Amino acid sequence: MEENVINQSKDITVIEILDRVLNKGVVITGDIVISVAEIDLIYVGLKLLVTSVETMQEKRLTIVKPDQEKK
Amino acid sequence: MKKIIYAILSTNQSLTEISDLVNGMKGIMDANLYVLSFNDISIAVSDFTPSKDITNRELAIDFAGVIEALSQQVTLLPVRFGTFIKTDEIVHQLLVNHYDSFLRNLQKVENKCEFGLKVLCDSETFSTKISAQAAAVEVQPREYFSTDTVHTNYLLEKIKINKLEDSLFQYVDQLIEDISQYLTQINPDSKYKKMVTNSILLDAVFLVKKNKKDEFIQAISTFKQQHDDLQFLLTGSWPPYSFVDIVIE
Repeated sequence: MEENVINQSKDITVIEILDRVLNKGVVITGDIVISVAEIDLIYVGLKLLVTSVETMQEKRLTIVKPDQEKK
Repeated sequence: MKKIIYAILSTNQSLTEISDLVNGMKGIMDANLYVLSFNDISIAVSDFTPSKDITNRELAIDFAGVIEALSQQVTLLPVRFGTFIKTDEIVHQLLVNHYDSFLRNLQKVENKCEFGLKVLCDSETFSTKISAQAAAVEVQPREYFSTDTVHTNYLLEKIKINKLEDSLFQYVDQLIEDISQYLTQINPDSKYKKMVTNSILLDAVFLVKKNKKDEFIQAISTFKQQHDDLQFLLTGSWPPYSFVDIVIE
């Protein structure tokens, strides 16, 4: 059942993964955290955000079409 | 050598069992995964040598893969990618200091998983549809202005745009209500973001009991069949990234 309903696009899955690991979950900041390329990380996050919207718009006509679930 | 944190784990088992669980598992950059524990919770960490390579997309995906593998075995709280701490002692202290908060969140997500649902539309077609509906309630100048002025047309146009936006938000509110109705029996926790862009009407996440996964998917599938003019992007199941409410500063 999941194969028919849940999106199987690799691109979208990657975007969803990156959105989660970069923007969600337990947030630990402050003195105890070692800053590693923090600015670059923020940049990657923003770039992904922009890309994710663009990609989804490109994909919107190819995803989860009603006839897919009738297979 | 620093420590990168992956997740907070609920570990009702003994420390030996938890160590056995992660024994042989690899973190990012092929480092061995291990746990630091306090009472019935643990933190999964691995050694990491900081470098600019951390901005590598593949590394972030590998990081998610470690969390996914762990989530197959235990209830966990994912930690945001890019959290580095200097020593094991500081990591352990973090666990002790925030034990209550970690435990509370772990209990909230126990035996549950996350699904993402984006509802998309063809913005042009959809705007036309909503415009047609809004036009039924045409703006009457005399409702707003007693006399015509040079600014009347401009102001009327602005009022009309506002009415369109209101119509759109009402549509999305109704959509949320309808989805909630479909999911009543499953009763998931949910979060909704409305009108993320002109094309993304709704960005929702659901926290679903693992034993209700199939039921949830079926409900969304049925709902989707009744909305041919919209595109549904359902993803999951995920570890509960969006239902963790912990910010440690």
